[in-house]
Amino acid sequence: MTLQTSSIGTPTLPRLLLGTVVDNALVLALVTVFAAFSIATPTFPTLANLQSILVNNFTLLAIVAIAMTFAVSVGGIDLSVGTAVDFASFAFVSLVLAGQPVAIAALAGLGAGAAVGAFNAVLISGIGISPFLATLGTLFIGRSIQQLLTNGGNPVYLPPSGAPEAFRFLGRGAIAGIPVPLVIAAVIVAGATLILTRARFGRVALAIGIQPSVARYSGITARAHVAVAFILVGLIAAVAGLILSATVTVYIPSSGNAFLLNAIGATFIGTTLSRLGRPNIPGTILGVLLLGIVANGLLLTGLNFYWQQVGTGLLIFAVLALSFINRRKATA
Amino acid sequence: MSAASPAADRSGDAIHLENIVKRFDGALALSGASLRVRRGTVHGLVGQNGAGKSTLIKLLAGLHQPDEGRIEIDGQVYEKLTPHRVEELGIHFIHQDRLLVPTFTVGEALFLGREPRIAGTPFLDRRLMQRRAGEILNDYFGVRLPNSALISELSTAEKQIVQITRALLDQPKILVFDEPTAALVRREADILFRLIRRLRDEGVTIIYISHYLNEIEELCDHVTVLRNGEDVATLPLGETSAAAIARLMVARDIAEMFPKRSVTPGKDILTIDQLSSRGKYHDISLTLRRGEVLGLTGLLGSGAKDLIRTLFGLETATSGQIEIDGKPVRSVNPAQAVDQHLALVPEDRRGNGVALDLSVTENITLSSLKRFTRLGFLDFKSERQEADDLIRRLEVKTSGRNALVRTLSGGNQQKVAIAKWLSRHSEVYLLDEPTVGVDIGSKVEIYNLIGDLAARGAGIIVLSSDLAELIGITDRILVLFRGNIVHEFVSSQTSPDEVLAASTGSSETLRHVG
Amino acid sequence: MSVDIQLAPVIHFEPGQSGFSSARGVNLAAAALRAGSLIAFVAILVVFSVTAPYFLSVGNIGNVLGQSAISGVLAIGLTIVLIAGGSNVVTGGIDLSLAANMGLSAAVYATIAQLGYGDATAVAAALLTGGLIGVVNAIAVVGAGIVPLLATLAVMNIVAGLELVLTQNTVIPASTPLLTALSSSGLFGIPALAYVLLVFTLIAAAIVQYTPAGLRLYAVGEFPDAARAAGLPVRRLVAGAFIASGLCGGFAGILSVSNLSGSTTGSGEMLLPVVVTALLGSVFSRRLVPTVIGTLLSTLFVGFLVNGFQLLNISSVLVSGVQGLLILLVVSATTLLRRQEA
Repeated sequence: MTLQTSSIGTPTLPRLLLGTVVDNALVLALVTVFAAFSIATPTFPTLANLQSILVNNFTLLAIVAIAMTFAVSVGGIDLSVGTAVDFASFAFVSLVLAGQPVAIAALAGLGAGAAVGAFNAVLISGIGISPFLATLGTLFIGRSIQQLLTNGGNPVYLPPSGAPEAFRFLGRGAIAGIPVPLVIAAVIVAGATLILTRARFGRVALAIGIQPSVARYSGITARAHVAVAFILVGLIAAVAGLILSATVTVYIPSSGNAFLLNAIGATFIGTTLSRLGRPNIPGTILGVLLLGIVANGLLLTGLNFYWQQVGTGLLIFAVLALSFINRRKATA
Repeated sequence: MSAASPAADRSGDAIHLENIVKRFDGALALSGASLRVRRGTVHGLVGQNGAGKSTLIKLLAGLHQPDEGRIEIDGQVYEKLTPHRVEELGIHFIHQDRLLVPTFTVGEALFLGREPRIAGTPFLDRRLMQRRAGEILNDYFGVRLPNSALISELSTAEKQIVQITRALLDQPKILVFDEPTAALVRREADILFRLIRRLRDEGVTIIYISHYLNEIEELCDHVTVLRNGEDVATLPLGETSAAAIARLMVARDIAEMFPKRSVTPGKDILTIDQLSSRGKYHDISLTLRRGEVLGLTGLLGSGAKDLIRTLFGLETATSGQIEIDGKPVRSVNPAQAVDQHLALVPEDRRGNGVALDLSVTENITLSSLKRFTRLGFLDFKSERQEADDLIRRLEVKTSGRNALVRTLSGGNQQKVAIAKWLSRHSEVYLLDEPTVGVDIGSKVEIYNLIGDLAARGAGIIVLSSDLAELIGITDRILVLFRGNIVHEFVSSQTSPDEVLAASTGSSETLRHVG
Repeated sequence: MSVDIQLAPVIHFEPGQSGFSSARGVNLAAAALRAGSLIAFVAILVVFSVTAPYFLSVGNIGNVLGQSAISGVLAIGLTIVLIAGGSNVVTGGIDLSLAANMGLSAAVYATIAQLGYGDATAVAAALLTGGLIGVVNAIAVVGAGIVPLLATLAVMNIVAGLELVLTQNTVIPASTPLLTALSSSGLFGIPALAYVLLVFTLIAAAIVQYTPAGLRLYAVGEFPDAARAAGLPVRRLVAGAFIASGLCGGFAGILSVSNLSGSTTGSGEMLLPVVVTALLGSVFSRRLVPTVIGTLLSTLFVGFLVNGFQLLNISSVLVSGVQGLLILLVVSATTLLRRQEA
């Protein structure tokens, strides 16, 4: 019998990123894909392109996927992340349009996202509905509410003249040359990592997600923590909603759902490919990067646009299959 | 093949398992166990929890493969058994956990896997299934169940009957009953016994596993006693008795394992007054003092486990009162129980006791995280220190505090489960089968730890079916039988067979309480 | 049978002692839930028929059936996976690739038809496409051991991409005798698709509800240990369910071509409504499990809702909200029931 040495080091950020928590397989997959594209297309590894990956293929999905990671960390899933994105976006754009200060509108947006989360929390922790079904219901109700609010799904445009400076700054501004959305995403990554690895809440959430019965037998009230986790999901997704609407200066009903499946994909890639099989922020981020790099790289290879989705799907499929087969071998 | 044909030939062995060795994660579950069952007999298999009965049966079912040893069925040697092969051989199992789909009707459950079709069509003949089900149940057991009854609506006894009937449909050659009467009242058990004798007379070989030794005495032709993964004896029932079997089941040579303790019990810490839970236990009253180790024992269904679960807030009592340190408490969930300084080390260690995929440190501090939190964030340094202290104090053998608990041996996992409560500064410890699946070395360490805890003023209740252990480490023992405390023993003045007799009801007329 | 044992009938199970009473109580509650759902269904029909006289006309009912055909076929496919995978949608039965499957199968059908091949070839190609997608799902779930939620999510992406590749994101018009027949009206002026849905449901129900294979699917989904103990080939049955679901996707693809006179994009939109419909279906069964007929009822429920809203000029945007509320109500009720039982 081989000696198993699975262990967790003290989670410092560099070690996290260098693969103490994140499986080397994920880093390896990322490096391989990166190298392959660099060879295939000379424009891929340029600074300009890498920046475009971060801005176009990374920021918003990263934030939504981090939100999803909190749902997964307590052993759940949130199909209504997109709804929180949309509600936040709607509240934000509508209030700005109505002449409210950007800060107030942004707060209202965050509140709207958190409200979606709180609704889920009541369903899941209060009534005891499984997260999948509860958030599926929320998704559907949210869709109707948005249509009602917009006369059957009309976008809410913010005329360029009507967009205050602060609003535009949020979407298109830069701090020290770094786009504001990216800065916000970085802050959220750092904050979420801190919460999940260093805060008591994160530890308890993981324990609930990993073995709920042990958490219960240890005197932990899972319901409260699960509720907080789902409210957090709504709140974080709301940030993506604010950035989204500030970038495109429009709110389009139910547009947030576009993130749903990729967010689930990134989170589960990060979780299943991490060595300990735990939901973790670095893993999620690498999952998002993997999706983003593949999308961007396939674009640059000049491959037919439509083949790109096939390529992305195949790649994710391959990664999942390999990891599950590997794991089965390991446990057999 | 007709099931009646082997009746004539009782000379051979139906089953011969020889010197079976089986390890799990390095721990020895069977260390050279043999089982030889003659054709057409009822063969009892007894042993305390952890003696290796269930492992042996799972090997026979083809669910585990032996590491060493020889398997011979009906004179034929098999390299390995698979569930499929076992079925071909006509060996059937009546499991403790009834494997019936809850939303099926009785007919569907009976015929699943060999469904009758309407002649000439691919369709299920539901009517025939229902009718046959009705007939068979009526013929075998004299039971009439409504045609439309779903499995989920049946009583435990009824489910048991459906399960047995399923096996009978296959005309089994060998039938294995695993604790079949645990959930039955006496009358139902009698019907089962008559059926078993009848089957034996028709040539079916039967292995009968039970904790109720008087049932073994009443029913079996031979009995094999397992202890610590070995068979210590196989005897014809004519030449032995329940009491003799009990003596064989209990190891005597490990008495010196138990630490000598001399603690003078202090003030009352836990008082239970007239606690009842409908259908589980009735009017339980007891007092636990600081520094005292109280033993609790009883068979499956005796209510002892339910009592422990109630104390920890996992179940609620219907009436009665619980006091801790003189203050009445009412724990409706484990979180409240933990706040009352109660600690439970559950029997299902890997399911409920430790989180296998959390590290040693994360497990140890799971209940006491508040102590290591500053402004919502964990103070890793003091957490590490706590983990290191407890790892050292409990001599947890691990590659490090960051190792996943999954990688630890059973004994060391158990130490982690206990360390969690030491870290929480718990005062009343409820230990449910604390040494099941634990190697001898760790057992002794856990015994010492229990003594140590008591010496520091904690009150401890140990629920165990290992009676030598119970006597060795406790001050007093309460025996539950069918929901009542039927006996109290002073540990230093009793013997395992005496306690066993009390808990199986064979020393009393209580067997018929039902 | 040679083991024939006669025992005097001596067991008399007292209700209280054997736990009958509590179990029956739960069952009563379940029956109440089922009755409640049916009453709600009927009530909605009544309300609509009173407020919109045309609502209960044969023609309108036929329309609703016809319009529900595609989602009905998809939901029945998903129902089969739900049956074999068990009630936990995250770890158990779910097929997220169904809607995309329909899109690709439709595109394949339309493309082949446009190339001048006959209906038989086109139908075979569409069903083959659906079936193959099912096979891939089955291999991923049963062979590689990927949880169905993730496996079918990845397959969904691949399939949706392939559809785009094939159609270049355009409408592929198609017109064949079969399509003409499907989009025409049949007996009583009711759309042919309505009859297709009914016949398809009957066949599916006959297989799932009335054959040994169907019974075994339920055993596998609800209690895999019991299925294994009964010697059932659990993995093969689960794989079969995914393949059946894939074939349903292919069939729905053909229907969608007839409905729209060509393959169109945007099939993915149907996924979540179909999931909700299939999940809702279980309240229409006595045992609160997914059934083909239950799913048909739930499909029609949604169909009539949309139709009634249209007739009453109520914005159909409410439909998804009502669906969402329904699923929350139903699931809350079952959850609370179960909690009472425990």
